[in-house]
Amino acid sequence: MKKLIAGTGDAISRVEGPLKVTGMAKYASEFPVENKVYGQGINSTIARGRITAIDTAEALRQPGVLEVITYQNAEQLGGYDEEMPAIATDTPMPALQGPEVHYYGEYVGLVVAETLEQAQYACRLVKVDYAAEEPNVGFEGARDSAYKPSERSDYSRGDLAAGLAEADEQLDLTYITPIEHHHPMELHAVIATYENGKIDAYASQQMVENSVKTLAKTFQIPESDIRVRAPFVGGGFGSKLNTERHVIMAIMAAKMIGRPVQVTVTRTQMFTNTGLRQRNEQRMRLGAKKDGTLTALGHDTLSHTSTYEQYQEQCGTVSKMLYATPNNQITHRLMPLNLQTPFAMRAPGEATGSFALESALDELAWKLQLDPIDLRIKNDTQVDPSNGKPFSSRPFVECLRIGAEQFGWADRPLRPGSRREGNWLVGYGVSGASRASPYQESSARVELSLDGGEVYAKVQTGATDIGTGTYTILAQTAAEYLGIPVERITVELGDTKFPDSPGSGGSWGAASFSNGVRVACQNLLDELRQRAGKEGQDVSVETLLLDNELATFAAEGTASRSEEAQDYSIYSFGANFAEVWVDKDTGMYRIKRMLNVGAAGKILNPKTAYGQIIGGLTMGAGMVIAEQTKVEPNFGNFITRSFADYHVPVNLDLAEIDVIFLPEEDKIANAMGIKGIGELGITSVAASIANALFNATGKRFRELPVTPERVLTTEVEAGVLQSR
Amino acid sequence: MRPFTYRYPRDQREALTAAAAEAGAKYLGGGTNLLDLMKEDVERPTMLIEVADLPHQQVTRNADGGFTIGAMLSNSATANYPEIRTNYPLLSMTMLAAATAQIRNMATNGGNLLQRTRCPYFYETSMPCNKRAPGSGCGALNGMNDNHAVFGWSEACVATYPGDMAVALTALGASVTVQGLDGTARTLPISDFYRLPGDEPERDNTLQPGELITALTLPAPAFPAHYYYLKIRERSSYAYALVSVAAGLQLDNGTISQVGLAMGGVAHKPWRLTEAEAFLTGKAPSEENFAEAGVIAMREARPLEHNEYKLPMGEKAVARALVQAYARN
Repeated sequence: MKKLIAGTGDAISRVEGPLKVTGMAKYASEFPVENKVYGQGINSTIARGRITAIDTAEALRQPGVLEVITYQNAEQLGGYDEEMPAIATDTPMPALQGPEVHYYGEYVGLVVAETLEQAQYACRLVKVDYAAEEPNVGFEGARDSAYKPSERSDYSRGDLAAGLAEADEQLDLTYITPIEHHHPMELHAVIATYENGKIDAYASQQMVENSVKTLAKTFQIPESDIRVRAPFVGGGFGSKLNTERHVIMAIMAAKMIGRPVQVTVTRTQMFTNTGLRQRNEQRMRLGAKKDGTLTALGHDTLSHTSTYEQYQEQCGTVSKMLYATPNNQITHRLMPLNLQTPFAMRAPGEATGSFALESALDELAWKLQLDPIDLRIKNDTQVDPSNGKPFSSRPFVECLRIGAEQFGWADRPLRPGSRREGNWLVGYGVSGASRASPYQESSARVELSLDGGEVYAKVQTGATDIGTGTYTILAQTAAEYLGIPVERITVELGDTKFPDSPGSGGSWGAASFSNGVRVACQNLLDELRQRAGKEGQDVSVETLLLDNELATFAAEGTASRSEEAQDYSIYSFGANFAEVWVDKDTGMYRIKRMLNVGAAGKILNPKTAYGQIIGGLTMGAGMVIAEQTKVEPNFGNFITRSFADYHVPVNLDLAEIDVIFLPEEDKIANAMGIKGIGELGITSVAASIANALFNATGKRFRELPVTPERVLTTEVEAGVLQSR
Repeated sequence: MRPFTYRYPRDQREALTAAAAEAGAKYLGGGTNLLDLMKEDVERPTMLIEVADLPHQQVTRNADGGFTIGAMLSNSATANYPEIRTNYPLLSMTMLAAATAQIRNMATNGGNLLQRTRCPYFYETSMPCNKRAPGSGCGALNGMNDNHAVFGWSEACVATYPGDMAVALTALGASVTVQGLDGTARTLPISDFYRLPGDEPERDNTLQPGELITALTLPAPAFPAHYYYLKIRERSSYAYALVSVAAGLQLDNGTISQVGLAMGGVAHKPWRLTEAEAFLTGKAPSEENFAEAGVIAMREARPLEHNEYKLPMGEKAVARALVQAYARN
């Protein structure tokens, strides 16, 4: 066989990189679809009530304005049969169906015009009158409305009360995380064409196949009449998993006026119309013996959904399986509020749940006067306590130990507030991380062509690249399995005309897509060998094509989850370390260093994987530094409505960042040994920083974000600064 | 954005004439705030008169040793101007703490003085706001007011002035020169350029209709050795101050002979700390005196429901800015 150039595991630069930096990579709103016009959504300015009148006359008189769509002239769409339906990535998404207003910023109309500017201006001229009612937007006053959304909401094993009773030390504390927004760099966008009863949409979506399902249910047409394309997606973080209402409105408009319609959601609308991570109150009850053995772990989450749909973030997920405790109780409750329906945001459940769990463990370690790493190791388990299945691989202890050594954990200040550098108080923190590594069936097509004596390959799959490097890892996979250089491989993604793939979400992408491409390559080689009568022989693709007198040849393949995998719990594991410097007086602090150690199976490309992890660390740091969406208590609108108000970290906020991948190939997880990393990187980062802040100051920060105000106004924990 | 007429006058006279003829006209500098507000439908000018290229772009030395800075010079160019860096490092440091490099490159000095509040009720046109829609009420007074004023607010408005540059200009005792159509220029101290909201919060400052800011004037060089701008904010760049302090000290024989102290993020205008300045003058530059100056600075503060934290933060910030200013040499 020829020497491989850049197979899996090699840290090559992105194959799609040159396209991106030269502007040749086209994102949803960039396609020069002929004859297209522009739609702009109109948002409600009350949080609860009904539309009583709509006056579109002045808007319609403006030059270039083609149509104003409201519930009064919108077509009837497919919806739900039940009240408070649980939304998913393939459920219907009806828009503009009635006069009710459920939250501030809900779409109440769409203006369509020849230019974006004309559409935006005309939006200001549509007069909507409302009969407003008092909205419910806060937790206080709504607690009585909390309900159990589904059977999946609760879990228990053993007896929590008994476990707490037998503990030498217990704690019962509540952790709060605010509403956050995904805010990928690329705004949500769609260009929708409707011709002869068929939909063709360029849409910024993470899962094009499920987008088709949503559109089929919403417009009541066959899936085969719908094509969705998302060749490049500029970040999603979960917000582009489902097909949001701007897509529905664009298609509706395209049907009404008979021209392609582009709708690009504004940054302000990215707060109100493309999902959010809801506010969570998490009550943690932990009990342990003096030696750190956990006797009980209770994790109760209270959060909110909208008044018309249901979404529940599983904050208790990690608390079920990460530590061996016989007595475990998990609950989730929701309150319907006049806010947008929440939806999955990077590591839904783990990012928020791990803040509570890993902060609470740090508090327990301090109470027991144990090294927080030792406490975690003490409760390690190779069997998933939530279902009794062995973990396919679990080097969690190694993550902690190797991280401790690399970070210099032994040099940490043992007592909070004990290390000073000028005006700064120095603290170290640690946290453990785990994220499920799911697998979804994924297909691909591989086509070979012989040109000038060289073999080229084209890979096609409905998978998406949301900025993570899918193009690159699939080119590497094909290079490895076909035995041709990565430069001769072209990858095409994000089109429902290509073989089915789940798309990007839930950290299943890399494993699922790569194995799909692997099987397609293997099928292709098998067929060629068979035709050439060379079964079982190690022959190059070039020889096989020549032997078969073929200039081109294609094959498809599908990789399903293995039987063996069903018998195991499959998770990625990690540990986060942080060093913070806190100003002794002013409330300011700096994150000085962060280290992430991860065990996530085979790393297909250390360079792109590193990018994903530092992105996760940045987002995790953002949870602590400043990210929060604030709700106005009287009117129910978000007062954070742009990047000037919603503070994501800037480069200057970020530390020296180190990432270590433990060498691992988990062949139980899948044939290529790959696990997910997209969400592992954010999980428990916030706790490591909050724990470091405690170590620096003796203050516990149980509510995110930790703003200068909170640093300044939080009291030092009783007794902590005295030596013990 | 609403339709508007765009004018590009060849000279100042043409700019002033155009502004006088159109009640809804606004001058356009770098547009870093005005254009945003137009997109948000908060500002609705019927005409924009671009003045950024008018020839007020110089930095010149005056007879009294002070300097005059053109209003159309960019924030970046001003902050990095060698004679400003040398003679008024407090101003340079402050300007470079503002916004982002890209915004500082676009923003003009005159336009920056006119930056409007970041109060969320001002920005959201469906909310009540006396500054944006006089008579509609103040949404923040009984709403969310964590980033609002603790000094000089009125029942009509609790918004803060958001900028940085003007805080240093206030500590330095700068003045602002404005030109009216009748040919007369007036120069007023920066503390009189800005105003408190009273019952007319729609007026951020004392500019008269059609007047154009042409220059900033700084008195003789001050605090070239001992200066500091402390900006407490939620992230390290591209964030407005929760509280900021511009501090300058002049030392003679171990005692403080001159002090410039002003705060940002606490009032409808940059807040000069005259009592703290008076307290420190003639005193030794000690941590105790600096801490006491912080206490004095916040003594008259009147917090709202959500911004009480600004009192301890203000005290500590004043003390720390003074310590840092003193330590610098």
